[in-house]
Amino acid sequence: MKSAPTLSSVFLEPAGNYLPGPLLELRKQKGMALVDMPLPTRKTENWKYSSRHLKLSDELAVALPSPGKEGTSLSMAGYRVVFRNGVMVPEASDFPDLTGIRIQRFCDLDDQDVAVLAERLDNTLDSQTVQMARLNSARFEDGLFIQLDKEAVLDQPLFIIHEVTASSVGSAYPRIYVDAARHSQMTLVEEYISSGSEPVMVNTVTEFVLAEGARITGVRLTLEGESVQHIGATGVRQATASRFESHCVGFGGPLRRHDLQVRLEGEGAECKLNGVVVTQGKQHYDNHTSIEHIAAHCDSEETYRNIAAGQSHAIFNGRIHIHQDAQKSNANMNNKNLLLSTGAEIDTKPELEIYADDVKCAHGATIGQLNKTSLFYLVSRGVGRREANTLLTIAFINELVEQIPVEAVREAMQLRLNDFFNQTFQEA
Amino acid sequence: MLNIKNLHASVGGEEILKGINLEIKAGEIHAIMGPNGSGKSTLSQVLAGSETFEVTEGEVTFNGENLLDLETEERAREGVFLAFQYPVEIPGVSNLQFLRTAVNSMRGHRGEPEMNAAEFMKHAREVSMQVDLDPAFLKRGVNEGFSGGEKKRNEILQALLLQPKLAILDETDSGLDIDALHVVSDGVNALRAKDRAILMVTHYQRLLNHIVPDYVHVLADGKIVKSGGRELAYELEERGYGWLNVKDKEATAS
Repeated sequence: MKSAPTLSSVFLEPAGNYLPGPLLELRKQKGMALVDMPLPTRKTENWKYSSRHLKLSDELAVALPSPGKEGTSLSMAGYRVVFRNGVMVPEASDFPDLTGIRIQRFCDLDDQDVAVLAERLDNTLDSQTVQMARLNSARFEDGLFIQLDKEAVLDQPLFIIHEVTASSVGSAYPRIYVDAARHSQMTLVEEYISSGSEPVMVNTVTEFVLAEGARITGVRLTLEGESVQHIGATGVRQATASRFESHCVGFGGPLRRHDLQVRLEGEGAECKLNGVVVTQGKQHYDNHTSIEHIAAHCDSEETYRNIAAGQSHAIFNGRIHIHQDAQKSNANMNNKNLLLSTGAEIDTKPELEIYADDVKCAHGATIGQLNKTSLFYLVSRGVGRREANTLLTIAFINELVEQIPVEAVREAMQLRLNDFFNQTFQEA
Repeated sequence: MLNIKNLHASVGGEEILKGINLEIKAGEIHAIMGPNGSGKSTLSQVLAGSETFEVTEGEVTFNGENLLDLETEERAREGVFLAFQYPVEIPGVSNLQFLRTAVNSMRGHRGEPEMNAAEFMKHAREVSMQVDLDPAFLKRGVNEGFSGGEKKRNEILQALLLQPKLAILDETDSGLDIDALHVVSDGVNALRAKDRAILMVTHYQRLLNHIVPDYVHVLADGKIVKSGGRELAYELEERGYGWLNVKDKEATAS
């Protein structure tokens, strides 16, 4: 039998030109843990549909050069930080000094903050299940440390534009850490874009730690081009009565993978996770989510919708784990899927583990096609068939898109989805 | 305007329409009555272009054109409108967006400029008041959570916006209380015009008290078994459909 492939050592070659000592040291430790790490294969349960799309050639290990041509982003009103190939670009970033809120790149941190960050970084994700995202901890070149003091409220959304320049082969490892003190609030929009067409990998990790009563909304838009493998993970830890909302909108690519893991650790914490994925052609999108109900009286609400056209493939794997002490948990998970062609594939898998006896836990998953009666109704009013298909397809996900709490993002996504489906139905 | 000759249609191999002949001229109102399961709704759906049914024989011309050759949306753009017996709920598509798309598709077909959002909103609000539908309904999903009566009024609202040449009303009176029936019939009467025809499909004659037809046809077992003036509706009201079946059988026997 052929031995399982392992992570090539070239992926662990150090760079880290921008990082302060303690973070370099952390990276080194994390990297050592990855020596000879087996890569996921078809037999690896949480990568079984996606392992064949993971293409880690040695050239891909090269850290992409940080300066580069700026791509086009949504460029909306709000505060803005630009990361290019995993390194912050201060001259393209724009946010004021804010009371009680510190937004700093890793290399600008003072010794005390570095010590704090080195201590806390990488404690939100389950390393066993996000094996590929572990590479980020060994390779990040820069990052953003966002600290919200007690009761600080960011008055506008903060946009982080993660741009990757695919003008040469290589990879980028952006890292974000948000530390939200008691009753602080912010909305963070992460937008992933690319320029160029060489094969590249974006391996990104974002962590949110919410203290008591903190309220954080994370919006994640995956919009990179056709040559980008995107492997991302988001880890969230929530203390008592905190609230985390996530809105993900993802357009397919050769490989798109997002692991979202939420730990409800304090009583009365709640999270709401919404996700929309659209794929066409031969695109591939794999969402794995995990919600750990650890404390009692926590609520989780999760709604994901996938739409797959062409020969594309979309996957949703939703895990809910209700621990023994998590009585009065309320967990609701729903995944609906729409297949727009006979060649497309969608796989959905709920994973429920419940160890407490007094809980409410509901889940539902459906896979369907466009409703013919609805289509007839629309075209019987003179609406063109392509337009009717587009309207109905967007209707399937509109309920979620409409919940995105940033108007400009909502509108931009609606336009983009409209174009996407118009193109899909034109080719069909 | 509409000329149906020997129309046969079936669903899943079962023949529902077994040779319909009907001619409707511009300006006329025809009513098709008949017992449940006689094929009334099938006829409406076939004329509108539903793919559920297969036309196996016969022809239908609409203003000289072969209607059966046209796609559903082309029929609509040529002026065929069906008010559905069971209007479809489409959450996620706003009524306003749907109506504007439909109206602009029609306008585009006629070479007229599109109506912008503001213009259309104003127009749609006026028409919705005309059918006693709160303009707030325009912002909701298409028929989403509408009551039976609201759905029927929404159908008439669409007819008034789209200004069809041939309006087919499929059981538009079913499920309406007396007030809603007035509103709906006022809407239909507002559609009456010299260059427009209306085909009403109904089980009961009460709608015909409000919208007076020029001709009444009785459909039974996939065929028109009797045609007459509006007095035929009264006769049906009094005597039911039984006498027609008997008469039909006698006629065949002799």
